[in-house]
Amino acid sequence: MTDANTILSIDGLTRRFGGLLAVSDVTATIKQGELVGLIGPNGAGKTTLFNLITGFTPPSSGTVRFAGRDVTGLKPWQIARMGMGRTFQNLRVFPNMTVFDNVSVGAVGSFGQSPWRALFNGGAQSRAVSARSWEALERVGLADVAGEIAANLSYGKRKYLEIARALATAPRLLILDEPAAGLNDTETAELADFIRRLHAEGVTVLLVEHDMGLVMNSCSRVIVLASGRKIADGTPEQVQRDPAVLEAYLGVEDDAA
Amino acid sequence: MDVNVPDARILPSSTALPASATAWRGRQIFWTVVLLAVVFGAVPAAITATGSSYLAQIAITAMIFVILSASLNHITGTAGLLSIGHAAFYGIGAYAAALLSTKLGLPFIVTLPAAGLIAAFVGFLVAMPTMRLVSIYFAVATLGIGEMIYVILLNWVDLTRGPMGIRGIPPIELFGWQANTLLSRYMAVAVIAVVCVWVLHRLTHSYYGNALRALREDDQCADSMGIDVVRLKVEAFVVSTFFAGVAGALLSHTSAYIAPDNFRFMESILILAMVVVGGMGSLPGAVVGALFMIVLPEALRDIGDYRMIAVGATMFLSILLLPKGMLAEGASLAFVRRAFARGWTTMSGGTPVGWK
Repeated sequence: MTDANTILSIDGLTRRFGGLLAVSDVTATIKQGELVGLIGPNGAGKTTLFNLITGFTPPSSGTVRFAGRDVTGLKPWQIARMGMGRTFQNLRVFPNMTVFDNVSVGAVGSFGQSPWRALFNGGAQSRAVSARSWEALERVGLADVAGEIAANLSYGKRKYLEIARALATAPRLLILDEPAAGLNDTETAELADFIRRLHAEGVTVLLVEHDMGLVMNSCSRVIVLASGRKIADGTPEQVQRDPAVLEAYLGVEDDAA
Repeated sequence: MDVNVPDARILPSSTALPASATAWRGRQIFWTVVLLAVVFGAVPAAITATGSSYLAQIAITAMIFVILSASLNHITGTAGLLSIGHAAFYGIGAYAAALLSTKLGLPFIVTLPAAGLIAAFVGFLVAMPTMRLVSIYFAVATLGIGEMIYVILLNWVDLTRGPMGIRGIPPIELFGWQANTLLSRYMAVAVIAVVCVWVLHRLTHSYYGNALRALREDDQCADSMGIDVVRLKVEAFVVSTFFAGVAGALLSHTSAYIAPDNFRFMESILILAMVVVGGMGSLPGAVVGALFMIVLPEALRDIGDYRMIAVGATMFLSILLLPKGMLAEGASLAFVRRAFARGWTTMSGGTPVGWK
């Protein structure tokens, strides 16, 4: 059983693609207010696990519980509406929409908008969507470019735009998929600061990364995945000393040497 | 270094009223008055002054095509689902109105909404299985369905009289008032066209419209933002086909005679060309595109058969020079935010963003 503080718990999660076992019997929980990192070498199954949690891929077996409900088999939009916000590894902003309109889509998703409301009494709802979007933009520091077309933003700013869009869904859990990909060291350090600040403000974050530095510096707990299995789960210090982790990242020591 | 992160979280300044609220109200009234004055003032005045039934006929056709173009823009421009069978739903509406009035003697007040609802219902049946298809496959599906409906109209002789078409469709009448003159017919069609465009305007220029645009941009991503993608696509298609049906009813009741040839594939392409030339995703563009494509061939009548070449060349050049259309989406949305006060203003800078 899980206690009331648990926001996400996955149990025995397994996914096969033909003969390949991409994710095998992974069990883990995330508590409200945590900042957890999920790392693993390339091909460890991070992306598949991510897709299983967000509802893009149905599991072969196992369950996902989110915010107290079994969400296994629900559609991504249903899970998102329950408060799971995410960003994408390979930047997926809506390129031809303005920065503000991009962010508003996240807010619209969580508030809901119907054609009738748009026609007759959208006022209160629209004000709520506007305010929520603006707040999210101010939070990531993009309020001054709210009216720009998203495609015209620099790569780094588009990263923050994605985070703002996810924040506008008022997430109970924010999952960031490799946010440091494509950023230089300075930008990565700024991002780490930003994620820590979000966490300090009370946002529960799951950070999926293969940039070890970012995860080790920011997260209070790290889950390590290798060949589809969870091989470690603990503080950054514990994980860094774990022989199984060293083996997965550095390879087995050769006895003959 | 272009990543810019504030040192402290700035409090939302969004609740404050825009400084220029009254100026906005003024602009909104100005543009509304200008548009209504053209539709209900200048055009009727020109028709009356010239006494030209030819001019009135063009004005009626233009209004019908404004509805068709604006409704196709809703699904193809805004929601991004390329439909090349729009004329079929126009045809369903036209035949529904024609048959309900000639066979059952139902009045215009019933046939008009019925034509829209029947077209929307067929649209719903078409949408359910096809909305899971992506881009080009959806386009091919709508092409197939469009041809199918045309063939049904042509061959179900017992009901539609086939190629002979339906004659003697009564003119628009409302509680005893009959639109017998061309001017009154134009006025009736114009009122309905304005209402249709207004409804599409409210739907497009809102956060609901933003959700539709998000489907077009990246539907998987919209899905993870909590947007029910399939439902929204079906809704957009149903709304689009409803207005195509309404346009069909207007054709029936203003021309008294319809035949399957009015609703061929070429008609779908013509409507699509209006949307593209006007500006995909831009409602003002769809309106301007329709007016342009109806008026231009008529204006070029003096050069005889060369006019179709001129029209083709104009379309080609306009796409070459203005690939985003005469009124591009981004500029149109910004215009509507300002001119019709549909945007949401914040303290910072006072440029409207989002929707009211």
